[in-house]
Parts: sequence; C-alpha cells; structure tokens
Amino acid sequence: MKKVYVLIGNYGSGKSELALNFAFKAAERGERTELLDLDMVNTYFRLTERGNMTRMKEIRLVSPNFANSGIETLSLPAEVASAFAMDWDTVIFDVGGDSTGATALGRYHQDFMELEPGALEVLNVVNIRRPLAGTVEKIMHLQEEMEIHSRLKITGMINNTNLAEMTGPDELRDGYEIIREVSERTGVPVKYTAGRTALLEQFLAEGHDPKYIGQPLPIDIYMRRDWNSWINSLAEKRPQQLEYL
Amino acid sequence: MALTLMKGSEAIAEAAIRAGARFFFGYPITPQTEIPEYMSARMPEVGGCFLQAESEVAAINMVYGAAGTGARVITSSSSPGVSLKQEGISYCAGAQLPCVILNVMRGGPGLGNIQASQGDYMQGVKGGGNGDYHLLTYAPSSVQEAIDIMMFAFEKAEKYRMPVLFLADGIIAQMMEPVEMPEMVDYKVDPEKKPWACTGWKPGDDPAKRGVINSIYIDTESLSIHNEHLQAIYAEARANEQMWENYKTEDAEYIITAFGTVARIAKTAIDELREQGVKVGLFRPISVWPYPYDAMRETICREQVKGVLDVEVNEGQMLEDVKLGLEGAKPIRFFGHYGSEFPTTDEIKNEILKMKEGK
Repeated sequence: MKKVYVLIGNYGSGKSELALNFAFKAAERGERTELLDLDMVNTYFRLTERGNMTRMKEIRLVSPNFANSGIETLSLPAEVASAFAMDWDTVIFDVGGDSTGATALGRYHQDFMELEPGALEVLNVVNIRRPLAGTVEKIMHLQEEMEIHSRLKITGMINNTNLAEMTGPDELRDGYEIIREVSERTGVPVKYTAGRTALLEQFLAEGHDPKYIGQPLPIDIYMRRDWNSWINSLAEKRPQQLEYL
Repeated sequence: MALTLMKGSEAIAEAAIRAGARFFFGYPITPQTEIPEYMSARMPEVGGCFLQAESEVAAINMVYGAAGTGARVITSSSSPGVSLKQEGISYCAGAQLPCVILNVMRGGPGLGNIQASQGDYMQGVKGGGNGDYHLLTYAPSSVQEAIDIMMFAFEKAEKYRMPVLFLADGIIAQMMEPVEMPEMVDYKVDPEKKPWACTGWKPGDDPAKRGVINSIYIDTESLSIHNEHLQAIYAEARANEQMWENYKTEDAEYIITAFGTVARIAKTAIDELREQGVKVGLFRPISVWPYPYDAMRETICREQVKGVLDVEVNEGQMLEDVKLGLEGAKPIRFFGHYGSEFPTTDEIKNEILKMKEGK
C-alpha cells in the first residue's frame, strides 16, 4: 500500500531535514519514493537545494522552484498530481512553516481524502526550542491553526527538539515532557522521536514512557548550514580571482 | 538562561524591541520580510507602533519624524529598498537623528536576485546619500552577534547622534542558530538627556529650549560650522568605536580578511588548513565604519606574515579599506564572487595554497 507522509510544523522545526531522512530511508529499503517540496513561503535553505542528493538516490523530487534559480512563481507545480496518480511506495510532502505554509495542502484535499484508509500520516514536527513552539499552549495553538489551513487532521507528532549544532541531551528530554502533555490533552499520539544517533540512544536509555516516544528515528544531517555546503551547487562553476600587489 | 533556536530576522527584531525600539517603519522585501512580519505581531504587545509604509522612501522619512521625538526607532529593508532610503538616511545624518537601519543584503545591482550578498559595503560605509556623513556601521557574523550589537546600537546612535547601519548579508537574517536573548531594557525618552528632541513646546516655554530637527543651513558659514561639528563627532566615533576579531592570527603567515558570513567560511578553511600545517588566521572587522585600520595593521604588519587574502561576495569593496590600511606593506590578493554566490571552504583553501606556492 502506498504510504503518504505529510510533514508540517512550526518554521525551523526541522521538516526538510526529516523529509530527506524519511525519503533516504525509504529509498534504501528499495521503495519507489517521491519527495515533494511544497514550501511556498521561504526560498532560503530549502529541500530543493539538495536536489543532487535526491537524484543520486533515485528519489523523484517535485519542486516549486523555477529553473533552480531561487525564484518561485508562487504556483503549485502540476507534477504534484503525480503523488496521487502514480504508483509509489512512499510519498513525502515537505510543507512550508506554520499555518501559512500548511495552506498549500488545502488544494489537494480531495486527493488526500481519496487515499486508502491508513495510507495518510500527517505529522507535526515539533521543536520546543523554537520560540513559537516552546509551550504546550503554543504547540496546541499551532496544531489547531495548521489543521484548519491544511484541511487535514494531524495524526501524529514528531519530537524533533534540537538546537542545531549545539543540540545536547536536554533537548529531546525537555521536548518529551512538553510533547507528552500535548499528547495527553489532544489525544494526538507521538509517532516518532528524532535525533542524531548518539543523542537519541542516550535519550532512549533514560527509560521514558515508550508511549510518548513512538518510533526512534536516528537521523543524518543533510541540510547542514556550515556556509560551505548550502550553495555548493555553484562552487565548481568558475573560479575567478584578481591579484593585487 | 536557556538557549532558543531563532532565525536571524526574528532574533534581530526581538533584540531591537528589547533594546527599547518602539517604532518600526518599513516595507516588505526578501530576504528581510520576516523582520516586519515579526514586528507587526510584536510591537502591539509592547505598546509600540508597527507601520507598513507605502514605500521605503516613506518609511525612512517616518523614521526621521519619530526619531526627532527622541524615541528609539528602527527600519529594515534589503539592498534595492535601502537604495531608495538613501536620501532619507542622509537627512537623518544631517539632522543628527539617532536611529537604526537594517540592510539585509541581497544580490545586485538593480533588482539582482533574492539570495544573500555583500554588495552594499561601499554604499554603507562610503556614504550612499549626499554630503559628508558617516553611519556607525556593523557587519555581524552570527545571529548572536547581531543580537549583541543591537543591544548597544541605540545607545551608540544616541551618544553620537548618528544613525546606525546593520550591514548583514542575507544568510545572517535567514539562518537559524541557538541564541541567548538578553533581558528587556527599560527605555523612556528623557528630555534632560535628549534636549534636542521635539517632545512638545507651547507658547510661554523658553524659546531657547525648543527642539528643532533640521538638516538645512542656508548660508555658507552656518553649513560650514554644522559640517565641522559633524566631522568632530565622526573623529570621536573613529577613535572609540572600532570593533574587530582576530582568529588564530598570533603565528599566522597568511591572513584572511573578510566580514559577515564569509568570515565564518574562512574560519572553517583556516581550521582545515592548519590541520595540513599551513598557518593561516583571520582578521574580521565587526565595525566596518569606523574601519579598524590600526588593529588590522597591528595584526598583519608583522615579520612572519607573507600575504593577505581578502574574500568577499562582491568585486572587492572592502578590499579598498584593506589596501588603505596596509599602505602596500604586504602583498594582497583578492578572491570573490559576484552577486550572491558564496565562496566555499575549498575555494578559500585553494587560494591560500596558491599564495603559498607563489602562484
């Protein structure tokens, strides 16, 4: 059965990173995989910049980007229909941040509703270290707004609490406590807890309630922002220098 | 205090509010639209005013008006929008109005593109508007540094009665980094401290105490006196406000000069080159006006330094200041890209290795 994962969440919660991880893991399992970049909100640091990586792994990438130029036409590409029409094993939607970004999904309401029962997972990626997702109330508010705008019901949460390069053991633990309360109050289950392998293992060893951990999801970092990789696609084009004395 | 993961734009906007900014006037333009977006939600919460002006020209003139009352006022834009503001910036400088202007640089010239760039260095530090004026200009290299500079920017602007300019490349505003946000400053306009501010005057008040905000001096002599006064202030700012960073320069044989995000890429290159035994360091100006010439000379004009590599995302705009400061003391090489193409670690490493081999 085709599985469709929709990743929504607060700006900067790590949707693109997780989308790449979901896609690469599916491709490694030999599944026919399509990855859709529906981020219509932000043109910096998007999944589309990793187009070469996805091609190497034989993942089909659908992007709103115009001619790989950083410019968007602010229209959804017609190829999005392929997610529903074609015979994939795994389809992953990476959506823009907040309810603003989630709005793009509303257009496909009918298509989502026509999927087989159980095929659709709408996952709210939560990073409590982001200022607008730092409390139970803020997360619940965001969740409600995103559901209205996307016209989809959130089926699960992902604890992806991180501070980028400075992530430590406190992040997943603090995320766990807050997300657990959100889950208790809303009934939305925690489906995954994501993190770099070492940190994730450390967190799992602490013996928290598995009900609020879900499936552990060790991730690799592909969207790394070290200011030499994010724009690497242009690097080999033309070395150009002037010499002064 | 706990760290939060913040986007540069949000962090800069929040820091401005915590530093006492209560008026924001601006107009959306990528890659800084998140700043007005954040301000539009946040200003009402602190009793401030967010106003989306009809244009950048209007926004900077609103800054002129509001800053004239002594309030802490901020505007933000990106390159083409900052070009539009230049007339108003010159007026603010002429009328000696403290305020903060953010330029989140994108590719140019003209409309260019919406990706990050460093192409407005000249416009920022050599004066984009008319007349003899300067802006206290800072080029942050991380989100935390942008916050830290914002926390003293208004005080500096008020001390010298000069506008402050943030020269941040698009990456600084768009990237997310863990940051610590300082506490809110309790700022209120104090007419004693700002006797020039227009805080209200009625008939019967002492006419000598009437605030006048003005940049026009019709007769030759008074304009000359006004300019002499401005130049004295700039001399004081030059003497007191230079900021820079030295990174692994102590034993360095090659020094990279760079500002903003490029300096971070340079640091990665330096670390990797040092693993290969090549002694490289970085001199990074944080204030680009006043440019830290003396500190740069002190770092670079040492026996063991064989050469300087200046790296920028423009055609070598800061290079002129590097050359001015070094006065031919060391060989200088330039490596840069135009528009919004950022150099990679490997490119910088290759340039240093070529210098080492005498190529």
